[in-house]
Amino acid sequence: MAAKYDVVVVGSGNAGLSAAVSCVVQGKKTLLIEKHNLPGGVASSFSRGRFEFDPSVHEICDVGAGDDLGHVGLIMEKNGIDVDWVTVPDCYRCISKYSDGTPMDVTIPAGREAYIDAIEKYVPGSREPLEKFFDLIYEIRLAKVYMFDGTPNDPKYMQKHFPNTLKTCGYDSLSVMKALKIPQKAIDIIGVYWPYLGVPLDEVNFFHFGNMIDMYVTRRAVVPHHTSHEITMTFMNRFYELGGEAWFNCRAEEFLFDGDKICGVRTSMGDVECDQVLANINPHIIYANMMPKELVPEREKKLYAARKNNLSTRFSMIYFALNKSCEELGLTDYCVFFAGTADSRKEYENLKSIDNDYNILISYNNIIPDASPEGTCVISFTKLFSDGKDWSEMTAEEYYKAKDKMIEKCIEDVKKNLNIDITPYIEEVEVATPMTFARYLGTPEGTPYGFEVKSWDGVIARMTDIEADFNIKGLRHIGAGSFFGDGYSSTWINGDMTAGLACADLEEGGK
Amino acid sequence: MALNVKVGLIGLLDMLKFANLAKKREQYIAASPAEEIKADYPINNLAKAMHPDYQPLVIDEIIDHAAAGAKTFVFKRADGQPACYFRAGQYISLKLPIGDSFVTRPYSISSSPKWALEGKLAVTIKTNPGGFAADWMLENLKVGDEIKGTEGLGSFYYEKHRDQKHVIALAGGSGITPFLSMAYAIRDGIEDFNLTILFGSRNEEVILFKDEFDAIMAQTDKVKVVHILSEEEKDGYEKGFITADLIKKYAGEDPYSIFICGPEAMYRFVAREVEKLGLERKYVRQEFLGATKTVWKQPEYPQACRDKVFKLTVKQGPNETVCDCSSNEPILVAIERAGIKAPSRCRSGECGWCRSRVISGDVFVPAETDGRRWADKQCTEIHPCASFALSDITIVVPGEYY
Ligand SMILES: Cc1cc2nc3c(=O)[nH]c(=O)nc-3n(C[C@H](O)[C@H](O)[C@H](O)COP(=O)(O)OP(=O)(O)OC[C@H]3O[C@@H](n4cnc5c(N)ncnc54)[C@H](O)[C@@H]3O)c2cc1C
Ligand code: FES
Repeated sequence: MAAKYDVVVVGSGNAGLSAAVSCVVQGKKTLLIEKHNLPGGVASSFSRGRFEFDPSVHEICDVGAGDDLGHVGLIMEKNGIDVDWVTVPDCYRCISKYSDGTPMDVTIPAGREAYIDAIEKYVPGSREPLEKFFDLIYEIRLAKVYMFDGTPNDPKYMQKHFPNTLKTCGYDSLSVMKALKIPQKAIDIIGVYWPYLGVPLDEVNFFHFGNMIDMYVTRRAVVPHHTSHEITMTFMNRFYELGGEAWFNCRAEEFLFDGDKICGVRTSMGDVECDQVLANINPHIIYANMMPKELVPEREKKLYAARKNNLSTRFSMIYFALNKSCEELGLTDYCVFFAGTADSRKEYENLKSIDNDYNILISYNNIIPDASPEGTCVISFTKLFSDGKDWSEMTAEEYYKAKDKMIEKCIEDVKKNLNIDITPYIEEVEVATPMTFARYLGTPEGTPYGFEVKSWDGVIARMTDIEADFNIKGLRHIGAGSFFGDGYSSTWINGDMTAGLACADLEEGGK
Repeated sequence: MALNVKVGLIGLLDMLKFANLAKKREQYIAASPAEEIKADYPINNLAKAMHPDYQPLVIDEIIDHAAAGAKTFVFKRADGQPACYFRAGQYISLKLPIGDSFVTRPYSISSSPKWALEGKLAVTIKTNPGGFAADWMLENLKVGDEIKGTEGLGSFYYEKHRDQKHVIALAGGSGITPFLSMAYAIRDGIEDFNLTILFGSRNEEVILFKDEFDAIMAQTDKVKVVHILSEEEKDGYEKGFITADLIKKYAGEDPYSIFICGPEAMYRFVAREVEKLGLERKYVRQEFLGATKTVWKQPEYPQACRDKVFKLTVKQGPNETVCDCSSNEPILVAIERAGIKAPSRCRSGECGWCRSRVISGDVFVPAETDGRRWADKQCTEIHPCASFALSDITIVVPGEYY
């Protein structure tokens, strides 16, 4: 058996990386194991010909800059992670239909004032309720900092300082925006980001959604200069610098128990002893395949039953390298949403089908001129599915045809919506599907998003008792399937916070 | 604060609602039935079937192409499953225990994707005197032997959204294999494009797959093979080498893409010819070449390091091995010679499968096969299959699943 570790982090996705660095910063002897030959999970990159592609990133929120660091920015600073960020100037262009069926084509800049100005221009009468909306989400920002700083919350203090937060947070986002008297068309525009949380506006908790808008709009989003692999390697280099050890192409097969407490991990490279495990693995996989059935708590079996049909969004990503610049092609925006309808509930239903009209186009070179060689550009398309059914019924042969169809759909979408034909310029094209994500991430149906943040299972409900789902001694789940849900930022925060809990346990145990 | 938002009727109840979120969640969970937890998802199962740790293969038939110094090994899946479906043109990496070494070698699949559905797969291996694995396989492998291989790998295949409908293949020696698979795929209706193969061989006798291609051409007019003999003049054959003029002669009127696969010397020759055609870069594609055998001829190679033997310390999980490392061979070869199972696939610096971290020591990475990610180039991650030692080295390699 190998040396004993304080902590074994299983899986090097965003949460795993953040947790691993957090542990070594706290002086713990830490082993990071990863089944793939490369760290990062979705935060990675791949090469085709003379191009390097980011497999996943659109926009990263909550980093901040200078003396206005966001939660993520503060964690990165604390843990000594310094990434070469590029700020995203505009939120998006969206070509869709408003809920009432009329056509929508809006371009929305970031920054509170510019954002409100733009929406007021498209939907006159929005300004006043939007000012209120922004005051509210600013209050939520302060409330969030207070609530999740790791110390107990004082209800009196909260009532005094965050009254509107407390009053709105029990509700879904649509109800709150309606209560603020935001015109429906403006709600449609604000709601464009809904898929980033996986459930429609009438379901997603307002605290969660409002906070996301605050982070994207007020604080602005960033992206790494040299693909997500750059972020991942910044974490890894810091981890190594502080004495962390990492094994790649190493699969955790089973968790080892001493009574009802975890005491180690059986891996494809041998058994490893440890006190604490942080598992960047979907909990369903752990309980089904990686531990003795009799040790699975009853409560987790109930949680499973409650959630098993609520896997969050599955993705297909289509990557193109074009041998013309964005400028030459007329691809002027960084991010364009193509949606069938801005009615998020209806669209959520549409997304159950593989043939849905939803697509997000990212043209990297518009904010990162050297994202590809001079005179070329890299773009990606993101297609979402709120159900895995259509992908589940495929044979290997049909699978390649489905990939072709994804490519054709993207070509058609830019032609139809932007009047640009990219066909003659395709130098490289690659398609990732739910199967691709399943292969690299190992998550159920390849979802990178964990479980839907349904009204009963919203992030705020989960976060007001973050230990609620950690019911095996020495084991904590991290990642999108954990309490903070999906997203780079959320999983970094989740990894760091959970590592804090594990380290605290070690201190208690006299380590 | 002046702001006073009200969603429900009574503000106080809202406050309670918030306080109760976690309790409500617990109640919701408690009200659900306790079920046995399963993680059995068709999407994950298909992903696993398409990308297994390895395919267990058993040799079903060996076809000797004696004059060409090659053999075709027809494999069946040892577990009776269909072989992993692939795109015609892709290669598989064979995992070979030879003596005390565990090595891999990449071979283009020479059979039709259609065969994969029946659990069959073929590769064609040409002799390589002085080499290590090829001749060992040609001499030792028999029908019934079991071998492990990967699924189809690489992006050397026809992509209809990217390539021209007419593909001109430039092939030399065993570089014909991916094009045989493509020709079968066209014949079998799996791929739809026009394929003109310009195939260079020394003389008529050593031409690989002459009969196979003749049969395919009799079945479809989308495939055409032009044989070019370098050492023999004969009716019905072109004489000489693959030149720009020859390509133009067979290109016809329609625009075309060029696919190149062959030994390094042939590649260097035709690359210059292809350049004369002035095609856009996207219309010229080539299969990986393998790492250089003469690293000391690479630009910027520090000559003082040639012909040296350095000490290599290899860490893999909890294990550590110390061995010799010739400066003339890729670091991966030293690792394999030491009997360590390290991952590799393309052995050409491109796929990243062998990606490892140098803890100490200096390495030389030839620019032409430096397929590393940007961020890896900024630190000490290398692809050992295409990196060479310039000093004693300590390296951390990933595990391997077989
Ligand atoms: C994508 C791709 C597709 C290919 N497709 C085909 C194909 O279809 N058909 C075909 O014939 N070829 C193909 N090749 C080439 C093929 O992979 C091999 O390179 C070729 O068969 C020669 O292998 P070899 O081992 O004989 O020679 P080499 O690769 O030259 O072997 C010698 C190497 O083995 C090392 N070695 C010597 N002793 C030991 C030891 N004890 N342990 C470990 N290593 C040792 C040597 O140092 C040297 O580096 C392809 C190559 C690529 C990259
Ligand atoms: S094996 Fe492909 S890069 Fe080394």
